[in-house]
Amino acid sequence: MVNQSRRDFLKTAALVGTAVTGLSSKTKAAPKNILSEDRMGVLVDTTVCIGCRKCEWSCKIAHDLESPSIEVYDDRSVFKTMRRPDSKALTVVNEYKNLDEEKFPINVKVQCMHCDHPACVSACIVGALSKQENGSVIWDTDKCIGCRYCMVACPFQVPAFEFENALKPDIKKCDFCFERTKEGKLPACTEICPVEAITYGRREDLVKAAHQKIKNYPDRYINRVFGEYEVGGTSWIYLANTEFEKLNFPKLGKDPAPGVSEAIQHGIFAYFVPPVALYALLGGVMWINKNKKKSENEEI
Amino acid sequence: MKTKILILFLFCAFIVNTQTQKKVHPNLNGITCKTCHSCDIPTKENPCVIPCPREKMVSIDQSPEEGPSVLTIDKFKKQTDIYSPVIFSHRLHAEMSGMSGGCKMCHHYNPPGQVIGCSDCHELMRKRTDVSKPDLKGAYHRQCMECHRTWSGKIDCESCHTLNGTSQNIKAQTLTEKSSKRVHPKIIAPTTLKFDTPSASGKMVTFYHSQHVDLFGLECQSCHTNESCAKCHTKDKTALLKIKTTEQKHAVCSTCHNTKQNCNTCHSNSVQEGFNHATKTGFDITKFHGKVSCKTCHTEKRKFTGLNSECINCHGKWTQENFQHKVTGVILDETHLTLECKDCHQEKNYSKPICTNCHEDKSFPKNVPGKLIKKNG
Repeated sequence: MVNQSRRDFLKTAALVGTAVTGLSSKTKAAPKNILSEDRMGVLVDTTVCIGCRKCEWSCKIAHDLESPSIEVYDDRSVFKTMRRPDSKALTVVNEYKNLDEEKFPINVKVQCMHCDHPACVSACIVGALSKQENGSVIWDTDKCIGCRYCMVACPFQVPAFEFENALKPDIKKCDFCFERTKEGKLPACTEICPVEAITYGRREDLVKAAHQKIKNYPDRYINRVFGEYEVGGTSWIYLANTEFEKLNFPKLGKDPAPGVSEAIQHGIFAYFVPPVALYALLGGVMWINKNKKKSENEEI
Repeated sequence: MKTKILILFLFCAFIVNTQTQKKVHPNLNGITCKTCHSCDIPTKENPCVIPCPREKMVSIDQSPEEGPSVLTIDKFKKQTDIYSPVIFSHRLHAEMSGMSGGCKMCHHYNPPGQVIGCSDCHELMRKRTDVSKPDLKGAYHRQCMECHRTWSGKIDCESCHTLNGTSQNIKAQTLTEKSSKRVHPKIIAPTTLKFDTPSASGKMVTFYHSQHVDLFGLECQSCHTNESCAKCHTKDKTALLKIKTTEQKHAVCSTCHNTKQNCNTCHSNSVQEGFNHATKTGFDITKFHGKVSCKTCHTEKRKFTGLNSECINCHGKWTQENFQHKVTGVILDETHLTLECKDCHQEKNYSKPICTNCHEDKSFPKNVPGKLIKKNG
């Protein structure tokens, strides 16, 4: 008799639990719902980039990061090693060998892709990261607890942590020049680029323009716009003349990185209702069982 | 009355319109206004040119002398004060582009009439709604660097820009003068080129460059489509001597010649003779047809056979009335002028005349039925 009631308990608990999870995930505004049609993006044409690294300089200036003078960036020897954005440089340009035309190496700018369904936002347990209406994914220093979940979650491994700053470390990543664009300015990197290899505009227009370029110059580009569908789409999209995987782009599917896990995760903790409900339920079941036992005992 | 005035007015407008069209577009061949304009009557204020890229746009080539000799690019004066305006030697660059696509190398489309400048399509402001084409600054830099970094390998700003406030800046005037005098030396075309090939069907290809230009009337760009500046202007020539595949080597020739078959047309084991219409076909064109272009007679594209050498084929029937005999170099005297052609010329190609029909003891060219003059072509 006792065994059976235990099984019953598990069944009911699981049922109620899923019901609550399902309900609450609907009530919470997922990032999907706030995606604006007019959200901005950047089209990076790697066939145009000349690797002048002016974007690296202007990014540092715009974000009050320490930077050597602009002339230092003419030094192309840095391309010997592959670099990643870190807490001191939010964007870097790498160089790859061009098999079609050796004289023109391929230069690829790396920074936060500003996903439409950002895994970092999903992973952040305190809501320090958020996807904004204009497309940018930004980070709030006041909320961050330094758990670095975002760094693990990011499919592009972009967020960087100020390990060297022991007292008040920040998460550092490209913020799509959120403050500048709010004032009507262009993101610093897109403003300085001499060849406009990085074009700032409505994401929808940029996707269209990218496909038009592929159609007009089929010899110049491979028929793929990286970021159009990857992990559910990114604000920064790329064109190239070589397979993106050869340019160190991660191999990613079309589904948003947060996916199913986010629905469950957010559901379980939404407004703390489900945990409380679960405890209440468990308490209730215990209380009923206790009463039952009592009456059973009385019967005997 | 009112309708009459209206009709008259419209007629005048039509005349003016067609005349301005001729003035603005002097050499339009077989294209309509709608090829380039979206509205019915384009004006200077509202040319309503179809937005770029204009895939069907007709492009023409102009000689470098027709364009400006030096341009001062000062469009960004209001945006930046780091650099002084760029002094661009337009003519020098136009001359250089001759081997690599002509005007349309930079002016993607160079329609007849007014030349379209960069800023006519590319917007001055980077922050804009139309992202289908780069802004003006991007467009300029892309065009310049595409070539400049091939041969110098550098992407430094100072090769084109001079910093404001430096001593270089004072020299702007002299720089303009200097640029206007700079010309690209005339490219000396070779007459004959001999190529050694590994082909089994003939180790040598003799290429008569001068014949392709003078006789067949090919333009430089017909073959030299994408010549980079670096082909001549480079210190490291070895990089250019890349190993080409057989297909790549034949690509230039195969636009006209069938390189998949008839290898012997070009390949042989010794130096080949140049093209000679007389030995090849039996019809000597040097006498009367030297200045006629190939396609006047060989009207069908890429087909050069099937014509016979009878004059009637192209010229129709000649009679003593419609034929000016003096073009042959002989002005007939009065007695011979009245004769029918066939009285003297029995062959269909009207070559050597026969005198024996009337004169038993006479023959051409010993005896002339009139006066010999110098032939004109």
